[in-house]
Formats: sequence, structure tokens, C-alpha cells
Amino acid sequence: MRRALLAITGLAAGTTALVVLKGGPGAGQATAQDLPAAQAPVAPGGSPTPGGVTPSAAAPSVSATPGASAKPSAKPSPDRRPASRGSTRTGTTPAAPKTTTKAPKPTTRTVTGSSVSYKYGSLQVRITLSGTRIVDATATGMPLGGQSGQRSDDVQARYSGSSGEVVAKQSADLSTVSGATYTSTAYQRSLQAAIDKA
Amino acid sequence: MSSAAARPGLRRVEQIMGTAISLDLADDLPTATLHELAERTFDWLRTVDARFSTYRDDSEVCRLDRGELPVAEASADLRAVLERCADLWTSTDGFFDVYATGRLDPSGYVKGWAAQVASDRLVAAGVPNHCVNAGGDVRVRGRTAAGEPWRIGVRHPWDPAATCLVLTGTDLAVATSGVYERGHHVVDPRRGAPAAGLRSVTVVGPDLGEADAYATAAVAMGAPSGITWLDRLPPPWRHAVVTDDARLLHSRTLP
Repeated sequence: MRRALLAITGLAAGTTALVVLKGGPGAGQATAQDLPAAQAPVAPGGSPTPGGVTPSAAAPSVSATPGASAKPSAKPSPDRRPASRGSTRTGTTPAAPKTTTKAPKPTTRTVTGSSVSYKYGSLQVRITLSGTRIVDATATGMPLGGQSGQRSDDVQARYSGSSGEVVAKQSADLSTVSGATYTSTAYQRSLQAAIDKA
Repeated sequence: MSSAAARPGLRRVEQIMGTAISLDLADDLPTATLHELAERTFDWLRTVDARFSTYRDDSEVCRLDRGELPVAEASADLRAVLERCADLWTSTDGFFDVYATGRLDPSGYVKGWAAQVASDRLVAAGVPNHCVNAGGDVRVRGRTAAGEPWRIGVRHPWDPAATCLVLTGTDLAVATSGVYERGHHVVDPRRGAPAAGLRSVTVVGPDLGEADAYATAAVAMGAPSGITWLDRLPPPWRHAVVTDDARLLHSRTLP
């Protein structure tokens, strides 16, 4: 459970950053409220941005679609293998109201992005939309166990209490993460897939 | 409209140079202006990718490496990068080596350098409050949209979803090089074998290109010589390393 909290919380900053993609212009105070939201421990499946996004008009015209990455000559990193492209839709209505410029009657639905493989398994990002606005994004399939998790626990157990400073996990109110290439790439790909399908 | 405490700002993510580039512009400017500045920033990084990618046969770096492009005819950017890389080869006792893999590959400097230039240009364009994260190489300036200093987590070497350290600042370059993503891929150019001893090296300082190169060099040096070398870097450079046996060692003062 603790690992689950850490895993999800660690991504909260990235999640909120990406949530704002869809809400960019006109999001008002949304951005400012993301950061405090990011520090709150988030239960699996919970919302990393409580109150972080206010209902507003239609989505911005500027697309967040990756451009250069689509080129075949781009760097062939191992996590770019196409995973399942399928998406799962659940929710109360199949389509969002798109035409109005007034706040649409909020209908909530969720869209799940492709499962993207990366070194520690595969992860999947699920977004929740109210009308055309993303109000929540959560990742499933983050490393909660398996070999990398066990290795980490082994290390913690073996070195706890010894004289040197032992690597400890921290989760905090983060603006960004250094050295997170692998996960952020997989995460972004799945999120983008969910956005594309929304 | 917005209160003094909260600026709207803008956050964007794009996939460039084979990695996720995220941009957080925290200044109180019209949204359209911020989007335009973001586009300009991403365009710059795409230009860098086209010019420096080792995965594109038609890039300047590949053409230079194959001998099809004389150095004198290379772009000013490429010549400047090669010069900096030569300086770094000297200052790292040869451990930062663009020919470590047997072919020209300045990637260990280019990603950080490109993000640093992007950040410099944002300052010049009137966006002194921003965060540029190029695949884990981070340059922050000013404050967040909420008016707080930026908080940069350093990824936990054994748990990609956790952080092992948090740095806080208003003017920092933070680069982390680790062996956790592609195995021991950083080659010790002197022995030609993968380096061992350091699982992850984070370097903090005023310039992201140099921070990136220093982190790469220290990983190549391994333990304990990489740590000794990092200790000799003059202020304001700071570092934190995680050893293969999971110890976190760092400068006496970290931001």
C-alpha cells in the first residue's frame, strides 16, 4: 500500500503538468493550484488534482501532439515498441459536447490510454473528463512489485541502520524530476494516447 | 483577474530528441504569447535534434563522423559544441569522451546544452520564471506560477516512480546520469569497459550542458574516483551520487 502511494504520488507532479495541457488557455487559476495538489498523498485511483481544474470553455486550439517523435528516424529506444493500441472507454456518455463555448453540462467519463511497455513492466494512463476538460489523470501498472521493487526493498533492508546515508524514498511537492527519462516517456505516451482517444 | 499569488502560466510536453521535453512557463503573460514562446522553444529543440542526432543519417553529426562534412563547413552551433566537448574532455581527465563508443557522439553534452540555451532564450524573451525538463535534465529559473521556488526531485535509482532527493532553487541546472535505464551503458573510455560503482550521479550547477557532461563523466569514472573528482569541482557546483550498494553521498550543502 505504501509503495502504491509512493508510486502514484511520485507521478503527481507530472500528471498535473500534463493535465494542464488540455486545459491550457482559459484554465485560469488551474495551474497555480496544481502544485499544492501535487503534494497531497494520492490514493490509487484517486484524483491528483482535487479542485485543480475549473470548468471552463472548450479545449485549447493548440495541440499537444508530439511532432518530431513520429519521424521514423527518431531514436529507437526500447520502450518505443508499439504496445497494444487498444483503448478502453467507460463512463456515462460516449462523446463530449464539443461545440458550445459556454460551460457544457458536465458529463464525466474516463478514457484509458494504450498500455505502454517500459523497463519495469507496462503502464497505462487513465484520464477522467468532465465535458471536454480533463479533470483527472492516473497511472496504473506503475512498479508496485516485481524484481525492481524487490531489489529496492532488499537494499533498504540490508543497509538500514548502517553508518552511511541510505537511499531513502521521498515523495514531496515536486515541480519536476531529474533523471526520469524512462518512466516519463512511457507515461507521456500513454497519456497522449488517452488524450487522442478522448 | 488572477490574484497576485497565482499566475496562470503554461505547461506543455512534446516528444523531441527521443525523449519527453516538458516546459513550464510561469510568467504572467497572455496565453497566446506563452504558447508562441513554447512553440519557439520546441522548434529550437527540433533543430538541435535534426543537427545533432546520432540516429539520423543526414544529421550534421553523422555526416561529420562519416567524413562527408568538413569541420570548417559545419554550423556554428556544431563547432561550438565540439569545442566545448574538447574542453570537457580535458577538464574531466578524458572521462567525458565524445568518441567513447568509437564514433562521434556528443549526446552527453547536447541534451543539457540545448535545454540550457532554450532557458537562456526564454529569459531573453521576457520569461524569467520557467522550468525546462529535457528527458530528466532540468533547468529552472525564477519561481513557479504559485510564486514558490522550484522543487526538483531526483529519481530513485531502483524505483522509477519515487525520488531519493529533492532540490529547491530559483536558478539551478540539475542533470542526472544513471545506469538504471540502459544498464551499465556508460563506457570508461580508458578501459573500454562499462564503468561500475555509481548507480546514479546528479550534478547541480549554473550550466546544464556542463552538468550533464560532468554527471556522465563521473558515472564513467565509477566509485570511488568519480566521487573524488566531483568533490574537486569548485563552487557553486554540487553533486549527489548513489552507489551500487545504495548509499547516497552528496556535497556538504545541497540547494
